[in-house]
Amino acid sequence: MDAFRLLALLILVALLVGFVGLLLRRNLFLKVMAMDVMGSAVVALFVLVAARTGLQSPILLAPAAAETATTSVPLADPIPQAVILTAIVIGLSIQALLLVVITRLSRVDPSLDLDSFEMGSGAAGGRR
Amino acid sequence: MAPLSGESLLIGWLLLPFMAAFLAALLPPLARWLALACCLATAAVAAAIQAGALPASLHLLGPYGVALQPDALAAPFLLLNALVSGAVVLDGWRRPMPGPFLLLLMVLHGGLASAFVAVDLISLYVTLEVVGISAFLLILITRSERSLWLALRYLLISNTVMTFYLVGAAVVYLEQGSFQLAAVGAAGAAALALLLVGLLTKAGLFLSGLWLPRTHAEAPAEVSALLSGVVVVAGIVPLLRLAGAVPALAEVLPVIGVASAGLGLLFALVEADAKRLLAWSTLSQMGLVVLAPVAGGLYALGHGLAKAALFLLARRFPGRDLAGWTGRPLAAGLLVPLWIASLSIVGVPPLLGFFAKSGLDRALPGPSGLLPSLLSVGTAAVFARLWSAPLQPAALPPSASVQADPAWSPGVVLLLAALVLLGAGEASRSWGPALAAEAAKAGLVLAAGMGLHRLLQPLRRSPWFRLPDLEGFPDLIGGIGVVGAGLLVWVR
Repeated sequence: MDAFRLLALLILVALLVGFVGLLLRRNLFLKVMAMDVMGSAVVALFVLVAARTGLQSPILLAPAAAETATTSVPLADPIPQAVILTAIVIGLSIQALLLVVITRLSRVDPSLDLDSFEMGSGAAGGRR
Repeated sequence: MAPLSGESLLIGWLLLPFMAAFLAALLPPLARWLALACCLATAAVAAAIQAGALPASLHLLGPYGVALQPDALAAPFLLLNALVSGAVVLDGWRRPMPGPFLLLLMVLHGGLASAFVAVDLISLYVTLEVVGISAFLLILITRSERSLWLALRYLLISNTVMTFYLVGAAVVYLEQGSFQLAAVGAAGAAALALLLVGLLTKAGLFLSGLWLPRTHAEAPAEVSALLSGVVVVAGIVPLLRLAGAVPALAEVLPVIGVASAGLGLLFALVEADAKRLLAWSTLSQMGLVVLAPVAGGLYALGHGLAKAALFLLARRFPGRDLAGWTGRPLAAGLLVPLWIASLSIVGVPPLLGFFAKSGLDRALPGPSGLLPSLLSVGTAAVFARLWSAPLQPAALPPSASVQADPAWSPGVVLLLAALVLLGAGEASRSWGPALAAEAAKAGLVLAAGMGLHRLLQPLRRSPWFRLPDLEGFPDLIGGIGVVGAGLLVWVR
């Protein structure tokens, strides 16, 4: 098994662990953390995809430095790196928003247990 | 100065809502007018696309950059976006809007407009996340404890499925070296399944859409109108585009659509709450939208306009409990729009919903063309429960009414006028003898629906007549997992 496949497999495991955590954890804070585990797995996946062609980040060097630098180093694919940078920013802002809501919810139930927020089937409707 | 090209006009139009939102934060008194201007611009772009005045596709920043396609598929969705956002602005024109409502509305409007025209996976991801975050903040606008939990649930689900979507996008890039929607077809089944999990959940379809009813029913009325009218179709448009590009989807999507329509109907028929009934009906109608990509745009337009009107009306319902519905008279300004909007969803002739439904019948091959009619019988039975309210006599002196609302909300009037006028436009375009047969069929569907309603009414009192509650948080995640695993096995 080559390194790429092994790493991809590990990333898949991390993704699934995050999903199972989201399903099984009763605590809201841990649910959000589980979602973050999934997000980290995706970041790792994009970095892995970018690293297929090389490990050096393709950053433009200053002209003077470029002459001295060795040009033979294989460069990483910049497209997935650029994409995941956007996704990281979005993920971070969503994480922040969710944590703000959780701080507010902790006033209702400091233990943040799922059951105290989820009303029974009948009680959910019928009122305004 | 060179004349403005179509491309720069398009870019200007996409930037306008975000600029307007910034400006509205600085100059709050202008917010209503700015929001209205954004809606007008979007409606103008939709008309220009129909007239063929704009470039059909636009690539920014090179082959890996942003790809936009303001084509005929996007036009009805853009019009829907313009009309529903405009109606929500008009509906609240006299009322003080809570905090940043209009600002968020503009951001949502801009995000939706971009999502409808984007055709590369990453631009779609970004726009869908913008839509998700602004919808989350809109649900939070009342700041009640209940809405905190609902909003948290919404964003948690939405971000989780978008994570799967992103994995799918990574696999597409790995296989094809491109993020274009057109490259998805050759990228293999796993990538397609992962992308579908994201889009199906966003579109509120089948088991992955179980988050929808509670979110749409418990949000404030204006926000419900936006969510059920346009926000759900943000996931539908990429699905329709994918169905055109990927042959494997053509057999998967109709099955999911029918399953979703059936599931939504079943729960709507048993539901005891008016707003939840509307929300379950949204889940069912979204299933019909994805049945045929050709007819989907018009269908989504017809449904979105009517459903947004119904949710705007729901703000003024005397109560939400359907058990006492026949005993609570509704004012004429409430009951007449209720009838018109729900008749359009059922598909009764002069309204837009009828032409959308007959377009759907024609687009489906062979005997499956009867399927929408059969499902419409159920839809008619669902809405028959809302029609049972008596009309309130208009003798009530105006001084006795506490609320300062006008008898007819201007937003609802705009939506109903759109339903009637667009219906008339469709009628003049496709008038023929085949339409008379369709009209007769619509009449039969309505009668059958009323019959079904009569049949079900006595059953509703019996204690066994209820369905399991599938809307707990673990159920939602489980539903997404089941749909994802099913797609991985099924899609080839």
